[in-house]
Parts: sequence; structure tokens; C-alpha cells
Amino acid sequence: MAATTESVKADAAEAPLLNKRNLFAGLGLYLVFYVWVRWYEGVYGWSAGLDSFAPEFEIYWMNFLYIEIVLEILVASVLWGVIWKTRDRNVMSITPREELRRHFTHWIWLSCYGWALYWGGSYFTEQDGTWHQTIVRDTDFTPSHIIEFYLSYPIYIITGVAAFLYAKTRLPYYQQGLHLMYMVAVIGPFMILPNVGLNEWGHTFWFMEELFVAPLHYGFVFFGWSALAVLGIVNSEVDAIGKLLKKDLV
Amino acid sequence: MKTIKDKVAKLSFVALLMTLSAAMLYTPTASAHGEKSQAAFMRMRTIHWFDLNWSKPKVAVNETMEISGKFHVFAGWPETVDKPEVTFLNIGIPGPVFIRAGSWIGDQLVPRSVSLELGETYSFRVLLKARRPGEWHVHTMMNVEGGGPIIGPGKFVTITGTMGSFRNELTTLTGENLDLETWGLSNVYFWHGLWYLIGVAWVVYWIRRPVFVPRALAVNAGKLDGLVTDTDKKVAIIFFVGTIGIVLLGMGQANSKYPVTTPLQAGLMRGMVPLEMPEAFVDVKVEEASYRVPGRAMQMTLTVTNNGDVAVRLGEFNTASVRFLDPEVYQDDSGYPADLLADAGLSVSDNSPLQPGETRTIEVTASDAAWEVYRLSDLIYDPDSRFAGLLFFFDENGGRQMVMVDAPLIPVFI
Amino acid sequence: MSASQSAVRSRAEAVKVSRTFDYLILWTVFMVLIGGYHIHYMLTGGDWDFWTDWKDRRLWVTVAPIVSITFPAAVQACLWARYRLPFGATICVLGLLLGEWINRYLNFWGWTYFPVNFCFPSNLMPGAILLDVILMLSNSFTLTAVLGGMAWGLVFYPGNWPIIAPFHIPIEYNGMMFTLADLQGYHYVRTGTPEYIRMVEKGTLRTFGKDVAPVSAFFSAFVSILIYFLWHFFGNWFSQTRFVQST
Repeated sequence: MAATTESVKADAAEAPLLNKRNLFAGLGLYLVFYVWVRWYEGVYGWSAGLDSFAPEFEIYWMNFLYIEIVLEILVASVLWGVIWKTRDRNVMSITPREELRRHFTHWIWLSCYGWALYWGGSYFTEQDGTWHQTIVRDTDFTPSHIIEFYLSYPIYIITGVAAFLYAKTRLPYYQQGLHLMYMVAVIGPFMILPNVGLNEWGHTFWFMEELFVAPLHYGFVFFGWSALAVLGIVNSEVDAIGKLLKKDLV
Repeated sequence: MKTIKDKVAKLSFVALLMTLSAAMLYTPTASAHGEKSQAAFMRMRTIHWFDLNWSKPKVAVNETMEISGKFHVFAGWPETVDKPEVTFLNIGIPGPVFIRAGSWIGDQLVPRSVSLELGETYSFRVLLKARRPGEWHVHTMMNVEGGGPIIGPGKFVTITGTMGSFRNELTTLTGENLDLETWGLSNVYFWHGLWYLIGVAWVVYWIRRPVFVPRALAVNAGKLDGLVTDTDKKVAIIFFVGTIGIVLLGMGQANSKYPVTTPLQAGLMRGMVPLEMPEAFVDVKVEEASYRVPGRAMQMTLTVTNNGDVAVRLGEFNTASVRFLDPEVYQDDSGYPADLLADAGLSVSDNSPLQPGETRTIEVTASDAAWEVYRLSDLIYDPDSRFAGLLFFFDENGGRQMVMVDAPLIPVFI
Repeated sequence: MSASQSAVRSRAEAVKVSRTFDYLILWTVFMVLIGGYHIHYMLTGGDWDFWTDWKDRRLWVTVAPIVSITFPAAVQACLWARYRLPFGATICVLGLLLGEWINRYLNFWGWTYFPVNFCFPSNLMPGAILLDVILMLSNSFTLTAVLGGMAWGLVFYPGNWPIIAPFHIPIEYNGMMFTLADLQGYHYVRTGTPEYIRMVEKGTLRTFGKDVAPVSAFFSAFVSILIYFLWHFFGNWFSQTRFVQST
């Protein structure tokens, strides 16, 4: 097994360096899913999401919450488990071409992470601001929160950790230790989720109105900054890829 | 095969668009507004809404309806909510399904925040113009700074027609006739579109060439010369000058097109004129009050003295917008929301007319499922177990006396 | 890994590979920036950005540039120092505006029906172009901080005035004077934003007369310079490629 790593086999078959189908399928998956989510919000936000004490709220929103949490735990466990379980134990002995191929695969993961972060950090977070203009904050689990905090955030967390695990288990470059900025880029946005605790606690008794710039929200801001750590990842990747291409490129 | 793939792709795209459109064009029935989440003692001890009237149950887009009535600012205001020194008469609707065409406290238009006085009663009305079809719960609502929204009763109002036909036509002080629904929109799109294109052009100019790996290799090797050329510098200067030029041009053009503009109007409005309520001649003392959990009933022992010159009977107890009536004394025909109206929910141990000068101790029971439905019974779990409400006494001449009650409440669990 | 082996078959393939990575990196960076910059901006200056009746001549003019120069400064620190790419600020603002516009259109309008002419975002593009060009031509972060930061703050209000001027026309309504923006705020009901939440100029006993916007822009420009410096160092910190050892 040591002599015939999966990489060598893949190399022999000459798989494409970038599997475009996986890239577009990955990005497409998020798109289709989130368009469906937006449709669901549009319909059931209005018909069942305005009053958290109504029975239909339990049916269409609380059940959504329970199901998504179970599925997220399941997907995270399986995905992270599989990536770890199928790790390359001879990662330092792969060919440069295989390494390049894996960098491409790694960038499929990162592209998906960026995409998921967009939906979570931008789309669903600002969307929450406008939903609060249509309802009175009567529950922590308002429809926009069920999507924003408990769906879109876990999805980018799952994707980010998967990307990190992929790099750590399959790319020689990341065997030097723990890449500080990679951890910031994944753990920082992850911390936005626990920070929901602060947010909801504050809203329980400080104010019920919707002031987006309230200091109560600064925890989200602080952790949002960690998205900038993608710059460190890019720099590392460019270094690593540069080393692989240097003699042919320059 | 490719044709099939293309077709699938096209159909998927069409399906996506249809899904989005369906969501956007969906005409719903809205549920209530979540007022039940607020602690019962706050709903009972802040703003008391009464004599409410929703002028129409059904309106077409562009038509107006009005909610009017009175609210009493409770003197025993709870500590946990800031005093109503900065408040805003809002309306509890799911966003701009109506536009707020006007709102008044007394005769004063109140588009801004206002100061209210504890213990006073105010009349109000809110004029709404229908905008988005659907069946909407329309609540009275008062926002209090440092507290939040205090929601009053809500009633369903149906809007018919299409949103596309909604118009918000106005004439400005500069003589312009416009529709505020779309005013300035193409101008917004034009400027944002123009600047976005300029930004895209700048980035595209740079990413036409190899971006990351070759440039990093060159920078690391100290070969900086080729990375920014003289042409690049010329292009940059064009962008620089162009940006400043467009900003100045746009500014100048806007100033000549709109020579008269004013800053946003803001500032607290004080001096709201309260209603002059006749001095109540009925005096009520709460001897004891308890809430019986199993029976969903609140019982009060009241000592009532009639200091007036006409006999009175207790007809209504109003707390947190739930109205308990004694139908023998008073029947409501105002169309008050049925779920908030216990039209036979008030029973009084002796409700014979209380003669002038007479003092009587009575047992009053207010019972209805509304205690549970509106989560008022949760009062017994609140950190400040006091209740408050309005008692209305009626005389045979059609006169009405409004008396506030405010007392501790003892729960009875068994 | 054998150093003698090549990862690519030819120079042509190397060029193609490098180019493909360009697109993948640009996509990812752009998307991550939208997420990060947007969440930062919406929670530090968002309310001014959401509604026309917050876009006043004092606080909006002051706050928006100060809180928005952050990410551009950080991204410039990385892209210019390491790649000599002078579009750090512009790409941030492109991302932010795209994220905002998608949201305002599909959600503020498409989900909750606020008219787009009431909830359009602020225009940050002129400042971004100036910031990038100044960095490129000066090749100096210090000059960019001082001149660029100053330009960023100063150009914000004139860059937005052609868009918001039509909403500052006065109107008499039920016996009171409003601007059209105030009237939008009054008409289009926001249950979560009562009027008193609005942080806008309410007047003072100041001596500057009506020159509020230029004074505010100047102050904003001053703070933008300071924030640029600070965020330049944040950018450097986030650009590092260091590994830590797991214990």
C-alpha cells in the first residue's frame, strides 16, 4: 500500500488536474439549495413565520430547525470523518503532478467555502435585518434566524473545516504544522455561531428593536474580520503552487 | 447528448426563476404578530389601549383605512421599561403592506418621536393606505425607547387588488409631482451602475494579465519593473482624473437639478395634548387579587365607592387588551377582535346598581381562555407579580367611568 | 516528492494552470470578502446604509467612510506588497456593493417589499478607485494612508449626493415639512425601526451654520487616515503564512 498510494494510481489514469465537474457541481449544489431555501422563506415566512406562538410556526419553522440541526451534525460527522479516514498516510511521497492536482481539488473546497461564506455572511445576515422590520422579535428562532444562524453558518463551517482537513491530510505543504491563518479563516467565522449566544442573550432583555449597528452585534463584526485570513491562505497557496510551477513558468 | 444537457440546463434555470417569482408574487395570509411573547406584567402595566376602531375589514390597494382609539399611559409603569419620554406611535403590520399615510396623537401629526406623560390618556388615529394584497393582522403599537414595542390589539384586514397598481403620488414644495414608490429609482440605478462598471473596468484591466503566481514569483525575485508599466500608470491617471471629474460633474449636475434641498427632519416632539378625562367619581380599592391556574380565572375582591350622583354598574375589565365584559351591563358592538373579547367573561358577585354614596365590597371574576391563549396567565411566573387594568363602570344615562387598578396578584395553584 | 519531476508537462500547461488558479483564487477571495466585509459593514454602519432617512449630512457622512476603509486597507496591504496588484480597495467595494445590491433587491424588496429607492446602498466606489490609484502611483502605504484615506473620506458625500439629492427635496405633508427621505421612512412602515432609533443630525448650537456635510466629511477623512494605518497592519497580520506547531 505504501508503494502504491492512491495518488500514483490517479496519476497513472491521468485524471484531469482540475475536476471542473466537481467544481461546478459543488457550487451548483449550494446555489440550488439556497434558492430553494429562499423560496421556502418567501412562502412560509409570510404564511407561518410571523407569530412564533402559532401552531403552524411549529410545523413549518421549528421542525425545519430540528431537521436542519440533525442533518448538519450528520453531514459534518460523515464528511469530516471520511476526509480524515481516507487521509493519505504517505502524503510526503506523492508526485509533484499529484500534488498539483490536489491543490486544484483543495481550491474546489476553498471555492465552495468562499461561496458558502458569501451566503452566510452576506446574503442571509443582511436579510435578517429586513425580516426584523416585518415582525416583532418574539422568539430567538425567528424564521430568518433559523436560516441564518442555524443553517447558513453551520454550512460554511462544515465546508471550511472540510477544506482545512483536506489540506491537512492530503497536501505536503500543510504538514509543517498548523497553518495559523487557515485556522483563523475557519475558526473565526465558526465563532460567529457561538456568538449567537451573546446576541440572543442581549436581545432577551436589552432591546427588542432592530439597530444593526448596536454594540451588541460587535462580536459578529470581530469574528467577521477573520475572513481576511483568506489572504494568508492565498499567499501560502501561491507560494506552494509557485514552487511546483516555477521552473516551467519563469 | 449535448442538446439534452443544454435543455436540462435551460429548464433548470427557468425553474429557478419561476421559483423565485412564485415566492415574490405569493399572496399570503399572515398570522398574528408575536405580541404574546411579551411578559404579561409589561403588557398590563404600560400602555392600555381602548375604544379602538378599525374603520374597514377590507380595502383595495390605494384605498385607506383608519385605526383610531385611545390609550392610557399607566401611572404604575414598570421599572424594567424606560419611562415613555421618547416614544413612537408605530403600527404593527408585517412591513409596508400598508403605507402609514398619517398618524396623530390628539390633533398633532406624529411622524417623529414624542414624549408622553405617565397617568395621562391620549386619543390617537393612524391612517393607512393599502399597498400589498393579503390578509394582514393590523395592530396598534407604541415603541418606547429603552423598552421596545408595546403591542396593542390586532385585527385582520384584507387588502385586495394588485401591488403593481399602488401609487404614492405627492407634490413637493418645489412643485414637482412624483410617485414616491419609484421616485429617483432610475437615477439610483444609473449612478450605482456607472460606478460599478468603472470598478469592474479597473479590476478587469489588471486581471487580463496573469495575476497571482507569476506576479508573486516576480516580486519575490525582485523583478518589479514589468509588473506596473508606464501604460498602467497612464491608465491609472485616467481613472483618477475620471473619478474626480465624474464626482464633480455629478455633484454639479445634482445641485443644478435640485437647487432646493433640506436636511433630514428630526427631533423629539414634546407637549402632546392629553385627553381631558372627567374626574372619576367611582373609587376602587383592591382588597385582594388572585389568579386561579386550574380555572383560568382571575378573582378580585374590590371595595367600590360611588361618590357621584348617579348609580353605576361594573361593565368591563380591560387588561393587556383583553376585555372581560358583563353582558348584562355592557355589550360591545364595535367589532373588537373576537379572540380578545370575553363578552361574558366578567362576573360580579353583586352587580346591582351601586347607588350614589354607597360603598360595596364585591367579588369580581374575569375568566376566559384568553388568559392562556394570550399568555397573560404567565404573569404568575413573571419577576414582578403585579397586575393592572382598566375598570369601566356604566351609569343608566350612558355615562362611563374609567378607573385604574394596580395591585399584587397571588397565584392559586391547587 | 521528487524535485526532479515536473508538475506540468510543458510551459504552456504551466501558464494554463497558473491562469486557472487565478480564477479560482479570485472567485474565492471575492466571495470571502463579500461575506467578511459585508458582515463588518452592515453591523458597523448598516442602518445608515439601509435606509434613505438615515443618510443625513452629519452622521452618515462621518460613520460610513470610517467603518468602510477597513477591509480595503487590509486587502491593499496584501495584494500590493505581495503581488503589486493595485485593486485591493476596488475589489472589496465591488464585493460589498454586489452583496448589498443582491440583498436589497431580493430581500428588502423581494421578500419584505420595501421599495428599492428607499433601501439602496451607499456608493463607495469613487473612494476605492482613488485609494487604489494613489497606492499604485505612489508605491507608498504611508502616502496612501494620508492622501488616500483623506480622499476616501472627502469624496464620500459628493460621490453620493447625485443619488440622494432627489430625496432631500422638501415637501409639506399634513401641515409639517419633510424631506422625501423622511417621508419614505414614515410611509414604509418598519416595525423594528421606530423613529427614535434613527441616528441623524438633530441640530446643535454649533457655530458652523449649515456647513455640516463638509465638516463631517473632513472629520471622517481624518479618522479614515488613522483607520487605514491600523487596518494596514491588520492586513499584514492576516497575510502571514506562518505555521504553528500543534502541542
